[in-house]
This record gives sequence, C-alpha cells and structure tokens, in this order.
Amino acid sequence: MVSKKIILAFALIGVLAFSGEQFAMSDSDRAIYAEMLESNPADMDVEYGSELMEDLVGGDEGLAKFLGVSEDELPAYIAGFPRYIEKLGLVVGLDQVLQALMAENGKKPFKLKSKDMFALSTYAKSIANGEASNIDVNANEHMKKALALGEKTFMTKRGGRGLSCNSCHAPAVIGAILRTQPLPELGADGVAVAATWPGYRMTKSSLRTLQRRFQGCMKNALLKVIPIGSAEMVALEVYLTNRAKGIEIAVPGLKR
Amino acid sequence: MRKLILMGLALGMTMAVASDLRSAIETPDASKLIAKDLLEPAKVYTMPSGCITNDKDSIARGKFIFHNLNGKKAKGKLPKGLSKKQMKPGKTYLPQDKIPAKQYGNCVACHNIEGARGAGNIGPDLTNYNEFFIKTGARDNAFVFQKIADPRIDNPNTHMTVNLTTKLFTTHEICEIASYIVSIKK
Ligand code: HEC
Ligand code: HEC
Repeated sequence: MVSKKIILAFALIGVLAFSGEQFAMSDSDRAIYAEMLESNPADMDVEYGSELMEDLVGGDEGLAKFLGVSEDELPAYIAGFPRYIEKLGLVVGLDQVLQALMAENGKKPFKLKSKDMFALSTYAKSIANGEASNIDVNANEHMKKALALGEKTFMTKRGGRGLSCNSCHAPAVIGAILRTQPLPELGADGVAVAATWPGYRMTKSSLRTLQRRFQGCMKNALLKVIPIGSAEMVALEVYLTNRAKGIEIAVPGLKR
Repeated sequence: MRKLILMGLALGMTMAVASDLRSAIETPDASKLIAKDLLEPAKVYTMPSGCITNDKDSIARGKFIFHNLNGKKAKGKLPKGLSKKQMKPGKTYLPQDKIPAKQYGNCVACHNIEGARGAGNIGPDLTNYNEFFIKTGARDNAFVFQKIADPRIDNPNTHMTVNLTTKLFTTHEICEIASYIVSIKK
C-alpha cells in the first residue's frame, strides 16, 4: 500500500532526474574501496584480536572448551551466534561470551564497546569465515523470544523524528536513496548484511561491530541510542542474522 | 542421602559459577530508554489561520529547515530568525552552558525539490508542488500542514518523519515549512 502510494506520486511527476552527486561515493572513493578489498585495514585488528585471544583465554582451544565443542566443531558453532548459552542463562553475542571467558580465566573483561573487544570478537567471528550462517531461531524458547523482540525493536517508531529501522530499511523503500546513500535492504530473507559484520568502516576509519552500526543509525535518525549488549541490541542482531541464514560468513567486511 | 547432599553441593556450585559468569558480562537495560522514546499515537491537527504565508523570511526559514539536517552540520548563512542552537524557551543560559544543536527537517533526505542537493527519493518529488498538486486540486494547504505535522493520519504505514507530535518543531515552524513547499519557486 505504501509502495503503491509512492509509485503513484512518482507517476504524477513523471521523470526523476538524478544528478551525479546523487551518490555519496565518488570515483576516487571507489578506487580506494577497490584497493581496500585487496587488503582490508581491519585485517590488522583481526591479527591483534588473535593475539589477545591467545594471551587472555587460551586461543581457539580455550573458546571451544568454554562453549563445550571440539576445535573442529568450533567454526560451525560460531556461525550460529547469537545463541542461548546455558551457562549464562541468556541469548548472547560472541562478545559477551568472550567477557565470560575472560572472567573465567581471571582476567578483567573488556568493555563491550571497547576497541579491544571489537578486535577480539571480530577475530572470534572470523574463525567461522567460509561457514554458512546457521543461527537457529527455533532452537528454544529463549531464541524464539529474542527473534520476536528483535523484530519488535526493528519496527518500533521512536525518537525525535518518529522513525523506526523499518522506515528506512523496509523492502518497500529499498533501492531508494536517502540523501546520496542507497538504502541497504535489511528486512528480507537472504540479506547478507549480518554475515559481513564486524567490518571496517571507511567513513569512520575503524573497525565496527554490527551493534555499533545500529547505534550509528539510531544517532543519525534521532532514535535514543541504546547500549551494546542490551537484550534489545542482541535481539536486533538475532533478527538480522536470521535474514543472513545460509549465507557464507566473511569478516571483517568492508563498509562505506 | 549423602548422594543427595553431594548433588546439591554440585548443583549449588555450578549455579554459583553461572551467576558469577553472568555478572561478568554486560547486559545493560535498554527497555526503559526505549519506553521513554516511543512515538505517541497519530494526531489530527487543525491548521491555524494565517499559517500559509508569502512572507519572504518565513519561507526562507522553511526552506532552510527543509534542506538541512541540524545546526551543527548546516553550512551557509542562517535566515533571519532561525538559530543553530536549540534553546529551551524561558530558560536563561550562561556563557559556559552547552546548548544542543537545533534539529532541522532534513526533508531532502527523502524528497527532491527545487535546488535540492543530493536529494533522496524515498518520498515523492516535491518539485513544482504548487503547479502539480495545489493548482490541480490534488492537495490543499491543510493537507500539506497535516502531512508534515503527523503523516500517519494520511497513511498509517508511512515511512515519513513525524514532526509535530514528536515536538521536533513548533506549529509555527511547520507552517513555515509548508509555506515553502507550496510557494511558487523561481
Ligand atoms: C533515516 C533513515 C534510517 C533509519 C531510521 C535507520 N537506518 Fe540503518 N542505514 C541507513 C542508511 C542510509 C544506511 C547506509 C549508510 C551508508 O551507506 O553508510 C544504513 C545502514 C545500516 C546498516 C549497515 C548495512 C550494511 O550494508 O552493512 C545496518 C546494519 C543498519 N543500517 C541498521 C539499522 C537499524 C538496526 C536501525 C534502527 C535502529 C536503522 N538502521 C535505522 C538509514 C537508516
Ligand atoms: C524518511 C523519509 C522521509 C522524510 C525524512 C520526509 N519525508 Fe515527506 N514523505 C515521505 C514519504 C514516503 C511520503 C509519501 C506518503 C507517505 O507515505 O506518507 C512523503 C510525503 C510527503 C508529502 C506529501 C506529498 C503529497 O502531496 O503526496 C509532503 C508535503 C512531505 N512529505 C513533506 C516533507 C517534509 C516537509 C519533510 C521534512 C520536515 C519530510 N517530508 C521528510 C518520506 C519522508
């Protein structure tokens, strides 16, 4: 109904003329992007994350042990996060698992929003590179609830402009342009987005996680920014990760 | 009996570990933040008399609000009577007070219009609005006012921003934005 209205309005006006400045990426940006695809600057963070992993929690082996799987099973298991973890009694992201693991090893856990945690958790997710994303939202009641909360959070209009994530990321507006930026589709099955985060953001010159990315959209669109690791944030991650089910994980991604 | 006690001990131990680990991870509450941030139900507004105007300064302010995101990002000279900062009415400010940037409409994010730079196309093109929409009788001023104030009355599933019910703008500012849209542009 919405799209019909928009199409109608377009038809009334006839032609849409787009100028060159429509797109936020200039040709030189694109050249840099192509270069970065060869060597992602965040590869260095991942390297650093793997050192942290060795030093703080006994490497991949330590993580596998904590999660109760063999090292061989670890990649496919990681490809199923966020998960309900019995020991924690919660649906959690990999970053929260790493906090628990650090505590178990007598280390002071990194803050979820810290650079060190971004590096560490990106390394941990990269263990699953090449695996198909396999989140199971029907695994148990906790996951079902998380999915429902994620969808609700995605659809809830709030903030100074009364917008929801869906206002800009609904299938009906996809392909549309928001001030020079093509809107990425998030609200349909087969959307790869979650499989490509954490990623290096060119516009921020740093490695960012998916939940950190959500915060960016909230800030820009005047939705009150909610904290990383909250039930709603993990649930949003569950919601988008479920869209990417079956898609090969490839992190760190490279983002505008 | 002994077995039971042992079991109980073991259980108690794993539970202790679980709650230790649980308290080691951050699980901040967001539900209160969200609850306070929710959008109020859709509201019908009556356009005040004298709302739509040909006054040059009013239209200039409406135009500036239409084309800019906020007072921090806005470039160029501000039209007379518009501020880059959002001061609360009735509050006195000291020089060292941090006053937040005023939010503008950023309508070009979604709408093309005369002279727009980098306009989006989520919403309809508002170019030649007077000729295409007002003169043809397809729309009137009150429709435009309500659309900007709260677009959900016209379309409950709208993707457009809500501007008066959220108190982002005052009724007066909505009038100035509407005046800009329906004005004849050269
Ligand atoms: C006002 C419009 C708007 C709203 C509201 C909005 N977004 Fe976005 N979002 C965008 C735009 C535009 C981009 C692409 C930006 C770019 O190219 O850098 C984007 C990008 C993203 C991305 C990165 C996609 C990718 O390709 O990797 C994610 C994830 C995302 N948004 C999630 C959300 C969530 C979750 C919410 C709600 C809390 C939300 N967005 C609300 C406009 C919006
Ligand atoms: C996030 C996208 C978005 C933003 C930002 C936005 N709009 Fe819209 N607007 C829309 C959409 C989509 C429609 C189509 C009708 C609907 O769904 O409500 C629309 C419709 C309209 C219409 C009605 C056109 C007609 O005659 O049918 C007017 C007028 C309008 N917008 C003005 C504004 C103004 C003024 C602002 C800024 C204060 C603004 N819009 C910001 C998306 C947006």
